[in-house]
Amino acid sequence: MDTVKQIDSDDHMVQDMLAISQNRDQEALNRLFDHYVPKIRAFCLAAQPGANLMADDIAQEVMIRVWRKAHTYKPETASLNTWIFTLARNARIDYLRKNSRHQSNIDPEYLWRDVIDENADPFKDAQQKRDQERIQIGLAKLPQDQQQVLAKVYLEGKTHKEAAEELSLPLGTIKSRVRLALHKLTIYIKR
Amino acid sequence: MTIHYHPSIEMLTDYAAGSLSLTHSMSIATHIEQCQECQQQIRKLTTLGGQLFTQTTTEDANIVDLKASFFDKLREQDRSESMSSTVKEQGRRDQSTDHMTSEETLLSWEQDYQVPKSLRQFVPFGYDKLKWMPLSPSVKIATLCQEEGGAQVALTRIKAGASIPTHTHTGDEITLVLEGAFSDKSGIYRQGDFITRDASHKHKPMVTKDAECICLTVLDAPIEFTGWLTRLFNPIMRRYHPHSNH
Repeated sequence: MDTVKQIDSDDHMVQDMLAISQNRDQEALNRLFDHYVPKIRAFCLAAQPGANLMADDIAQEVMIRVWRKAHTYKPETASLNTWIFTLARNARIDYLRKNSRHQSNIDPEYLWRDVIDENADPFKDAQQKRDQERIQIGLAKLPQDQQQVLAKVYLEGKTHKEAAEELSLPLGTIKSRVRLALHKLTIYIKR
Repeated sequence: MTIHYHPSIEMLTDYAAGSLSLTHSMSIATHIEQCQECQQQIRKLTTLGGQLFTQTTTEDANIVDLKASFFDKLREQDRSESMSSTVKEQGRRDQSTDHMTSEETLLSWEQDYQVPKSLRQFVPFGYDKLKWMPLSPSVKIATLCQEEGGAQVALTRIKAGASIPTHTHTGDEITLVLEGAFSDKSGIYRQGDFITRDASHKHKPMVTKDAECICLTVLDAPIEFTGWLTRLFNPIMRRYHPHSNH
């Protein structure tokens, strides 16, 4: 993917977020809908293939939160993609706990708080930007097998153990693939 | 505060991805409230999630209808909201005073204990208000939640200087120190430390003499006491665990 182009289009969307929070601009919401809804649906369908109704429900739920919570989004602390990913992830967890065989009374709202820190810290923000760029560039360069495992965990919502079962590989292999990938993306530094 | 024992990178990744079970996620969320290092790690792992998320897309879906129904819904909600906004405003004011009273109660009851935010759903009024079941004169447990087909989350409260009888685990056990400290033959564990033990592990934790110890535990299966006398506890432990047949 062309990194420069992506950053440029991200800027437009951050402008749209601003237009929503300040002017309640429905046109801006319309543009974000076009961009993000196919991604949110794909994210849901990766975990539950064929569950189109669920995908539609979650996509709508996420976009309603975008509309209502736009003012809480701070571009300097997280990219818009990351922010919307957390909304989609949390909505998917909530949907699954209410509709699955194993219903849970644990409310995910208590467990995944906003990525956005309460205290502004310019040093941390700069660090965050660098991490963001490193991850974006590094991800494209990862070998196929490492990308595949990351996709299983993040998009299909599988644990390491479930990914191992599905790919018929030993758990150790999955663990080392993820660790290698995280190491290359400088997310994981051995303690 | 220096924390020496952390969750594995696999658990942190599964948590950031949202693929970890809710019971285990509870222990991670509680740990990262106290651990700057893991907070940073989660931040980066979440950024990775955002990046993977942007690369997905469905081409086939027709979102025109979905969009129309979405904007209808939004207008409907906004309309009903503006109509009931005065009522809501009042409600919010009431709620915030309620919230304050509960915070105050929390402080007056237990001056030094701050219940982590991640546990407040199950511990809204402080540790003392929970239903504690005594296991021995110095050990009590309070179950926070039990998942059908999943693990059990509980708090263990042990008096200063006391020990838990030697036991093994029939499944994996996570222990997170919330207050005080304890030790076993592998080390000493203080506030914020996150310890994972598997079924093969046999241990006898002992609480330090200066203060009582409160731990959060996540159990995949009931623990088994191995001493001849304490084996009497086993039926009780099984009864309080969702996986039991009793």
